[in-house]
Amino acid sequence: MNLRQRETLDGILFALPYLVFFCVFLLYPLLEGLYMSLFEWDPLFPSQSQFIGIGNYVSMLQEPAFWNALGNTVYFVVLTVPTMVVLSLVLALGVNREVFGRRYLRTIYFSPYILTVSIVGIVWSLFLATGFGPVNYYLGFVMESPPDWLGSPTLAMPVLAVVTDWWLLGFNFVILLAARQNVPERLYEAAKLDGASTWRAFRDITLPQMRNAIAFVVIIQFIQQFQVFGQPYVMTDGGPNNATTTLVFYLYNAAFSQQRFGYAAAVGYLLFAILVGVSYINYRYIGSDSA
Amino acid sequence: MNKLNVGKMSITTSRTLRTIAIHAGLYVIAILFVLPYFYMLSLSLQPESIAISSTPHLIPPEITFANYAELLAGSLIVQWVINTFIVATVATVLVLIVDSMIAFSLTRLNWPGQSILLSIIIASFMVPFYVNLVPLFTIVADLGLVSSLLGVILPAVANPLGVFLLYQFFRDIPEEYGEAARLDGFSNFQIYTHIILPISRPILSALAIFVFVFNWNQFVWPVVVLQSQGSFTLPLGLVVLRDTFTFQPGLTMASGVIASLPLFVLLLLLQDRIIEAVQFQGTTR
Repeated sequence: MNLRQRETLDGILFALPYLVFFCVFLLYPLLEGLYMSLFEWDPLFPSQSQFIGIGNYVSMLQEPAFWNALGNTVYFVVLTVPTMVVLSLVLALGVNREVFGRRYLRTIYFSPYILTVSIVGIVWSLFLATGFGPVNYYLGFVMESPPDWLGSPTLAMPVLAVVTDWWLLGFNFVILLAARQNVPERLYEAAKLDGASTWRAFRDITLPQMRNAIAFVVIIQFIQQFQVFGQPYVMTDGGPNNATTTLVFYLYNAAFSQQRFGYAAAVGYLLFAILVGVSYINYRYIGSDSA
Repeated sequence: MNKLNVGKMSITTSRTLRTIAIHAGLYVIAILFVLPYFYMLSLSLQPESIAISSTPHLIPPEITFANYAELLAGSLIVQWVINTFIVATVATVLVLIVDSMIAFSLTRLNWPGQSILLSIIIASFMVPFYVNLVPLFTIVADLGLVSSLLGVILPAVANPLGVFLLYQFFRDIPEEYGEAARLDGFSNFQIYTHIILPISRPILSALAIFVFVFNWNQFVWPVVVLQSQGSFTLPLGLVVLRDTFTFQPGLTMASGVIASLPLFVLLLLLQDRIIEAVQFQGTTR
């Protein structure tokens, strides 16, 4: 064996362990899912599944429950992504200043991010509970009857959005803080000499300099929030009145409550298509460096 | 002269006012951020009769560990802590080994097809996990891994994030390091273990923290795969406790404290490292 062959052999051997995981648990399911989505899939006897072509996709578009789930998901994304990005930007700019105890503030804002969704959901459900929860107890002093936060079809989704902001804001905050710290200070000194106001400096220096980081968190949050599942699963069970049934929650139920595997796989592929489309648009119009 | 002084005065006072306002804003938000933790801890330490009374107490009027004692004696929580620890630890070790090996292969060794392979792995970033939820379940079921911790661990190792992080880091290690060793007769395996891995300790520990926390907290996939209570991890067990002990919120909160304590300790000990680990992801593109 010559040196070249030796290097090729080693190269493949070093790559192999990961590739086994990658192929078995990522690539193969991806293809299998596309295949399943074309069948009336029988989970117990897959060989008896019936090929129905794009039948699952067609019936999906005809199901009101699907449109409800899609609408709820878009609503959730609209509620969370802008608020989360703006609030984390404000906090990042605040902590970037010479404030007392900034290292601890940073850790506090970041800390909910390390919790699992079930703790987040359980604590907030009890926090907001009617009967013994402190929020409604104190609200009771200033208003007649405090709302049943998670029991109201109009309030449940905004509440989930606020809880999600609290939970995941820290990730964006930390990334934006790093981006802000990478903006060269001399730009601000130059602006100050020119007599620019704080607002001008923010608009003409901070925002353009942080543009890539902001685009990054927007894309990441969009992709992540579009796949929301745990919060409605733990806090509302998709209710009340399916008001918090999101797309992934709908997919999960179709698969594991109703055993409609082929249909659920089709929903998954549609989700995939939406996310690829949106990421492409984001990449094309916000994220590129060329402008 | 006098006029000028007045002008200066008002600039400094307005600056002081602004500093005070910024501090107040940041600290009020910080308090709002920790309030839910505080409530969780406080409720877990209250006797059940006080916890469900109509007057909530943010500060417990009397402290008891009864909730913790009942939890340890009357639930599977110890088993769940062990399960969660196994999942997070084994997944972290496996990810560090296989990801660093393939990243070494892609950056330090030349072989045909590697650039196509790299593009496929990078493209797989775009695949949302939920697309694979159903087919992955049928595969894991075929492998006989339902209700087994391996059924949670093995799919987690396929995540491409670590490969990409390490690929970027290894690529920036100067070529000369490996070359000098090769002239000294080092094998590829020795270059990997004796040169690349030691230099990469910062990125490896960042990745380890990230993978550990991610797997400690994994929720959706375990909900699908783990179907017997004995095989549950903490995130699933907590929901079961909440649904079982509906009128004992103190007990549920105690389980939340137990499940989050290890991560809070980790965060307090390693706050700078953990925040760096998150920032590593932000700078990878």
